[in-house]
Amino acid sequence: MRDVLRFLAAWALVHESADEGWRAAVTRGAGLSPGDLERGPDDFVDGLAALVDAEKERLKHELAADGAGVAPTEGASDRRDADLTAALEAVRFDLAELRGRIESLQTSVDALHAERDD
Amino acid sequence: MSARGRAIAAVALRSGASAAWRSGLGLRPRAERRRAVARALRLACEALGPTFIKLGQLASVRPDLVTPEMVFELERLQDRVPAVPVDAIRDVIRRELGAAPEHLFASFDPEPIATASIAQVHEATLAAPYRSVNGRLLGAGARVAVKVVRPGVARLIADDLAVARRWAERAERMRWLARWGPNALLREFESSLARELDLRVEGRVGDRFAFDFADDPLVMVPAVVWTHTTRSVLTSEFVDGWLLSELGEAERAGIDARALATHGAEVFMRQVLVFGRYHADLHPANLIVTRDGRIGYIDFGIAGRTTPPQREAIAQVLVATAYGDADRALRASRALGLEVPEAVEPALRRGVARLMRAHLARSPADVRGFVTGFLGLLAEHRIAIPEGYGMLVKALVTVEGVARAIDPDIDLIEASKPFTTRLVAEQLLRPERLRERLPAALRAALAELMA
Repeated sequence: MRDVLRFLAAWALVHESADEGWRAAVTRGAGLSPGDLERGPDDFVDGLAALVDAEKERLKHELAADGAGVAPTEGASDRRDADLTAALEAVRFDLAELRGRIESLQTSVDALHAERDD
Repeated sequence: MSARGRAIAAVALRSGASAAWRSGLGLRPRAERRRAVARALRLACEALGPTFIKLGQLASVRPDLVTPEMVFELERLQDRVPAVPVDAIRDVIRRELGAAPEHLFASFDPEPIATASIAQVHEATLAAPYRSVNGRLLGAGARVAVKVVRPGVARLIADDLAVARRWAERAERMRWLARWGPNALLREFESSLARELDLRVEGRVGDRFAFDFADDPLVMVPAVVWTHTTRSVLTSEFVDGWLLSELGEAERAGIDARALATHGAEVFMRQVLVFGRYHADLHPANLIVTRDGRIGYIDFGIAGRTTPPQREAIAQVLVATAYGDADRALRASRALGLEVPEAVEPALRRGVARLMRAHLARSPADVRGFVTGFLGLLAEHRIAIPEGYGMLVKALVTVEGVARAIDPDIDLIEASKPFTTRLVAEQLLRPERLRERLPAALRAALAELMA
């Protein structure tokens, strides 16, 4: 029994230490400026922790809004807009590329006509 | 045997004799013998003309097929030939585009600005405005480069390949040559050459490259004018600037060469690791520093591709290499098709670690030295190099060479560290990856706690 309690206490202690470490990393990361992430692994981890924390807060709001039947948050809507813009750009490029191919083929057809007429 | 076949055989015999003489009739050390053979092969390719120059250039980006000495010798292939008279070029343009250049362009310079074995380039100006695939408007009068396939080159290549095909058939019947798979190899080279001869392929690769880097203000890709482009003529925006050999002048004009070199390394990493399409022939002549301080990429004749799983594995290999972790680098290389027999794995790992210490743990890191040693190590252990792996490794060395031409002190490994580290972190944080790895990680954590 005592061993089980000891194991759970160890588990709780690991959890508590990790939590404290995480909060400290988030605080340090929030204080970094753009470009600092590339200074080294420690700054990178801190910066990443701050990014994850910000994303976690957004997720919390989204879940709460979903539960209450509220419209999606600004972050989710921005992401959707960005995805749509990227998809639109990709299709626009494919279409323009196709136009390029057709222009090139038309030139070849015109050239063959011109050769026949000569 | 045809006259051309006899001419090829004569050059091959002469080159073989020269290589034998230079390698002390096979008595000199192995590295020296290989260098002698590589040099003789390069000179033979130059003597035999376009087909063989192109084959040599294609082989120079394939360390999976030829020895490292051969790779670095063939990249020096001189592709300079006398210009084709402008009337012959005019005929090609008239046949391909339906009118003489004087009618198609506002102006057309009869003096070529570049000549090579396959094509030559003339400067011209547009007669009417054109909106490119990427939406950029080139106004009437805009300067363009008109690349024209040299007349007769397709015929010559077809004749040479017919000779090569007969020889490959014979080689396939000889046991000691058959292991190279000469027929399959020739078919692969034929298809690469056919792609290079169709300039529309190059135009499309360039357009896609421009689309990929539309968000990068420091990257310049010439827009293709498709109304003036066919299989044998490629018209694209003129890139005005300095060649890498003229960088002193660029720096005097206020260009930050060091920042450009670092950015160039990141652009390459994005091509390989994010978009999965990369310029595989980034030698100095294919890069121009523009007057407004951007990197202009030209000549997309040889391009490589990477699949999403390959991209993930390449990022892992690069990060492991950057941090000197030989074990991890070899593990991730396996995902790229590098098959290391169990028996040689410890020796190979020790060898890679030694190479990492010798070439990458110093500042600036020497990627070329590391890669040369690594390829030699694989050859020594008779480990086959997968095609994509070889091409990529060579491209990495070329990028280092180009970056060094811009900034001699650049450390490619250090320059690429932030980008590759960020990418691997993103890969690791993907939900599917977390779902896949989390149970094992939890089991390992519990096992550690229970121990």
